[in-house]
Amino acid sequence: MPKKVAIIGIGITPFKARYLDKTYFELAYDATKLAFEDANKNGAEITHKNLQSTVYGIYNELFERQFMPDIFINSYLGMNNKSGTRIATGGATGGYTVRMAYAEVASGISDLSLCLGVEKCNDCYDEQTGTTTPEVLNAIAYSADMTYEYPMGMMAASSYVTMVNAHFEEFGNPTEEQMALVSVKNHGNAINNPKAQSPMKITVEDVMNSRIICYPFKMLDCCLYSEASAALILANEQKVKELKVENPIWITGVGAANTDCFIGNREDMGRLYSNIYAAKAAYKMAGLDYDKIKDQIDCAELHDAFSGQEVISYEELGFVPFGEGGKWIESGGPFMDGEIPCCPCGGLIGCGHAVGATGIMSTGEAALQLRGDAGKHQLMTIEKGRAISHSIGGPGAAYAAVIVMANEEGVKKP
Amino acid sequence: MSEKFEDHQIRDKIQIDYKYTMGGQSKFFIELMKNKKLHGTKCTKCGKIWMPPRKNCSECYTPAEWVEISHTGTIEVSTIVWYGAAEFIKNVPYGCGFIKLDGVDTALFQGIFSENLVPSKIKKGRRVRAVFKKPDEREGKMTDFFFVPEDEYEIWANKPEFEGGE
Repeated sequence: MPKKVAIIGIGITPFKARYLDKTYFELAYDATKLAFEDANKNGAEITHKNLQSTVYGIYNELFERQFMPDIFINSYLGMNNKSGTRIATGGATGGYTVRMAYAEVASGISDLSLCLGVEKCNDCYDEQTGTTTPEVLNAIAYSADMTYEYPMGMMAASSYVTMVNAHFEEFGNPTEEQMALVSVKNHGNAINNPKAQSPMKITVEDVMNSRIICYPFKMLDCCLYSEASAALILANEQKVKELKVENPIWITGVGAANTDCFIGNREDMGRLYSNIYAAKAAYKMAGLDYDKIKDQIDCAELHDAFSGQEVISYEELGFVPFGEGGKWIESGGPFMDGEIPCCPCGGLIGCGHAVGATGIMSTGEAALQLRGDAGKHQLMTIEKGRAISHSIGGPGAAYAAVIVMANEEGVKKP
Repeated sequence: MSEKFEDHQIRDKIQIDYKYTMGGQSKFFIELMKNKKLHGTKCTKCGKIWMPPRKNCSECYTPAEWVEISHTGTIEVSTIVWYGAAEFIKNVPYGCGFIKLDGVDTALFQGIFSENLVPSKIKKGRRVRAVFKKPDEREGKMTDFFFVPEDEYEIWANKPEFEGGE
């Protein structure tokens, strides 16, 4: 029997375009320290010396300008002579890292573990344009198949837009206006998140008028790349009791799936199959139902790398039937006062995308909502005591991970 | 007393040269370069035709054999890229998408060129045909060819830097 696993400490640094005063391992240190402060505020009395292992989520060696960046973080965190394992699954790195850190604690090989994600992309620099983004995108583009797809210009946006366009061909949505609503919502939610990189009060028209990136995605449909770190401290049930942690958030379900990274091999190109399989696995483990999930969770921190792909994710995660995602956002379903608020923290579009840190930030944010500790972006209605986080990544979102969390101690009224 | 922070940045570059083998897929690139032929592979058990080719069927764990594939196909889904990686910025705007070549079970990602590059011109269902670089320009790489709408084939095949298939 797997042991019960709780999140007992959450540390998230601000998501910023650039930290000139910190390296990636210094950012990792900051998030880890914040996670200890959070755990200790909630009753535990622990330091890094109490941790038995770390699972690191770091996507890209070219960003960090360092192979095996995890071992250098391990040194800086004072974690020598303990197990440290790195996960790298593209944009889904954070979610997969939570899953593997969960597995370490659930299996009993560690009682108390650190789950740490970090990324610092904007050290990449394109001399030609004198800007960072084209070189950041270069470093990411190598994630596509290098022989058959990269040379043709397959990149993150052109890969994700393919699925959105194929979905549109089948269902007539999401329309450009429906996609724009995701951007309005997530930039807007970010206004109440002091750690967010891109808080903005904008309209559908602003999104529609922003520059075209990859038809039909426009600038404001896309997330920005960020520098940040996020850390969770995971403990088994016995440790939670021993440390007298006041408000553990239990990880009750973890699901992950890698679908075909060649979109052209998929039966239907308008589907992120990885989402469907990851969600079903996570919900099943948590004792929830794919068909009724909308009634079983309070909120979701989704992976909105691109607006249109968030709309498709509503369907694949079981919130609404296939083809109804566009209608659902029009009706306000994923907004802060809707049926399932999606990305209360602003998501990737509003908060930012520090790849390895992102899914760990999302998981931490969902846990904070369940604790009633999300601050200014705290939801007013947490009734079911359950939330999910969602991470996707890789060519055509081949990787997906879904984490289900629960507050079993009773919901603290915000 | 806190000291005023001053940052220090270092310019650097990572560069690796390669001469990599295409292994069991080599024939695809040789036939493309020498003969302007597109080769997929057909599973000897289930008959599925793979493009890009795989020497072994991932579903049956059975060897797949080479089969010549048509130069014509249908666009399944496409986009036009206006901004991107430093490597591709010089090419924007460019069209690309997944093309189901006639008789093939999978779709191939390729560049889709048009004299009038607008979404409607390269949308789902459009028939397309392969156009190749001239023999001395072909390197046995995916960039040796691209697709154009069938009604623009003559225009592209007659441009001085390109040629049609046989």
